[in-house]
Amino acid sequence: MSVRDVLSPFTAWKNLFRDPVSIADPLKRQAAPRYRGFHQNDMEKCIGCGTCETICQNGAIDMLPVEGIPTKQGDSGLRPRIDYGRCCWCALCVDVCMTQSLTMSNAYTWVESDPDKFRFTPGVDKKHWDDAELGYVRPEGHRLTGELRVHMPEMEPDVRIGSFAEIVDGYSVEQAVLEADRCVSCGLCVATCPTHMAIPQYIAAIRDGNYDLGLKLLYDSNPFSGICGRVCTHKCETTCAARHEGDPIAIRWLKRHIMDQVTFDQITRVVGQPAASTGKKVAIIGAGPGGLTAAFDLAKQGHSVTVYEALAAPGGMTRWGIPEYRLPYDVIDRDVDVIRSLGVDIRCNTRVGKDVSLEDLRNNNDAVLLGLGLQLGRATRIPGSDHPDVRKAVDLLRQATANEDFGTPRQAVVIGGGNVAMDIARTLARLQKTAYGEVRVTLTALEDINHFLADPEEIKEAGEEGVIILDARGPQQVVVEDGKVTGLKTWRVKAIFDEQGRFAPSYDEADEQFHQGSMIVEAIGQMTDASLLGDELTERLTWNRGRIQIDAGGRTSESWLWAVGDMVHGPDVVTAVADGHRVAASMHANLVLKEQSK
Amino acid sequence: MMRALHDRLNALFPLGELTEQRPDLAFLTVPREHLRSIILHLRDLEGFSHLVLLTAVDWLEEGNFQLTYLLSNRGKAVDLGLRVMIPRDGASMDSIHDIWPTAATYQRELREMFGIQFPDSPGVNDDFILEGWIDMPPYRRDFDTKAFSAKTFKEREGRMTTDPEQHMKQQLYPDGA
Repeated sequence: MSVRDVLSPFTAWKNLFRDPVSIADPLKRQAAPRYRGFHQNDMEKCIGCGTCETICQNGAIDMLPVEGIPTKQGDSGLRPRIDYGRCCWCALCVDVCMTQSLTMSNAYTWVESDPDKFRFTPGVDKKHWDDAELGYVRPEGHRLTGELRVHMPEMEPDVRIGSFAEIVDGYSVEQAVLEADRCVSCGLCVATCPTHMAIPQYIAAIRDGNYDLGLKLLYDSNPFSGICGRVCTHKCETTCAARHEGDPIAIRWLKRHIMDQVTFDQITRVVGQPAASTGKKVAIIGAGPGGLTAAFDLAKQGHSVTVYEALAAPGGMTRWGIPEYRLPYDVIDRDVDVIRSLGVDIRCNTRVGKDVSLEDLRNNNDAVLLGLGLQLGRATRIPGSDHPDVRKAVDLLRQATANEDFGTPRQAVVIGGGNVAMDIARTLARLQKTAYGEVRVTLTALEDINHFLADPEEIKEAGEEGVIILDARGPQQVVVEDGKVTGLKTWRVKAIFDEQGRFAPSYDEADEQFHQGSMIVEAIGQMTDASLLGDELTERLTWNRGRIQIDAGGRTSESWLWAVGDMVHGPDVVTAVADGHRVAASMHANLVLKEQSK
Repeated sequence: MMRALHDRLNALFPLGELTEQRPDLAFLTVPREHLRSIILHLRDLEGFSHLVLLTAVDWLEEGNFQLTYLLSNRGKAVDLGLRVMIPRDGASMDSIHDIWPTAATYQRELREMFGIQFPDSPGVNDDFILEGWIDMPPYRRDFDTKAFSAKTFKEREGRMTTDPEQHMKQQLYPDGA
């Protein structure tokens, strides 16, 4: 070995004190237009669904909360952070992104001395490529998840108008699996569901063909899954990640599919038996979804539950309000029978205040729950509306369910633009078709067609069935000639609310129309008939704008009395179910406390 | 041009599907037993003198590997990909290293990454890039990259994640109501 060989490594040391000879990015060469370079994320579009994290084959993505991005309905508030120590730039995250918020710029040079800097949150940590226009976006037509909903077969308008048979067919197993397959299981919908059903999990159960599991998941949060599977307001579908780039998942129809696939015995087996008797007794007034959900929970916990129902059959508004073509009675019966199987005693045709007194219920039970619902129709109070042929939609719907003949008019005018208005219009249409062979129903609503309170499919289907829908019409007078109703006079609505946002419709009086009809039906809202409380109790209770005031657990200002459902939270089945659980938990805690303090 | 070439080949060999991707690029599915004669024909009589690459696709669901031999006609500046389907089970294919020596390198890579055998290809069983590999060939689609990485490598410090559904529950309805 020569001296030079020994010394030469040391001569290299002098380079330590020189400037580096390498040049950072000497060419500044732009990558190809569709190069998959560094990630960009549009904060306006990202909904934090985490599908990018799920699909990443390298486990390079974490979902993390970001300061200044709040969690809200349809947006978890989380944002993806990418570890470039693991990313392989395969772009699956971009391809699967449910909102196309995630893209890749064609930037490809990034120099740092701290390796941890290569873990970053695109769109949050500002980068020089944030506004780069070139790069990779998901190509047109390239989708990893199904864009369109599996079509739900239903009866054609000319067939369904002839009877009250159910319109919607329901999915077959094959259709349900295809639809379930579109779900990315992000879970954004769960927060939106009032009763927080385990939606991604039961959809996965359908995909796996595991109906026992699906059923258990449904009953964990909703003993009215049969009913909700058909008529739920399905707000969950408004926050579904799939809606941004296609149709939302048909969550409601998938729930219905599980209930359609299982037998009654299967349900009672999954629901199981109540806990050992606690010896506590609860009376529930009103056999609607709110009261019966509470009954279900309380019975499972071992309390003895008796439900008092004024009408001839249980179900509340789901039976006496919603028409059969949307919700067949046997579906209601089955949901209710499951609750009965837990030992809940439902006494129909028993009106509290007449057949049994509220005082007796109080004395003979440890707690009482009011689930009265909203059974009184509101009145327009326009001139002529006191005529006997001016009816309330809820009354007519109740009579229709009871098969009572209320004198089907040859021509009717419905006032209102909500689902109840659609229900009565379509019910009258069916009755007219059967009795007279033709449909002559006019529906007038204050709102313009884009702001109707009714579900869009209700409006569409009512139109298909021959109901004439007139929007932005304000009712002014029921015209009566020779003691007979001949029609309704309306003015065009200029605005429904005043500048302070209060309800105060203003009209264009010059635009007057007359709608012919021998019956006028008011469908402009409902209220509670709380007369059974009696003057003294009504006086003692605390009220808030016409509703009984309750605490978070549904308890009124009277320690023995709780209230649940539409009468305290407004009309909605699944909201009443959620409320039933909440109230039952409060009642149960109180009953246990009572037992302990004995 | 590609169509005409396809017609000439079709007169001589049984051919599968033709996909014309661009005017200067097409793919043609051929039976494995005719691959060698088609390649020789293309090389010696049609000017496809260059093997651009040899690669594979794992059609797991169909139980096949697809081998793609991309050939180039430099004079006319056109490329033709020959596709051959072979059963995934016990996958093995005749070597073409005697036609193009460079094929041996591709075949060595395919043996390592997909587990496809090429008997008699020089050095085919030598490690290519995966020195000391003991798991299943990693380009097979049933190889779980993420599970392998989780059991083989240490997680980087500072990683944490949040489930959207649970996070929304905490933020929007913490008491479950």
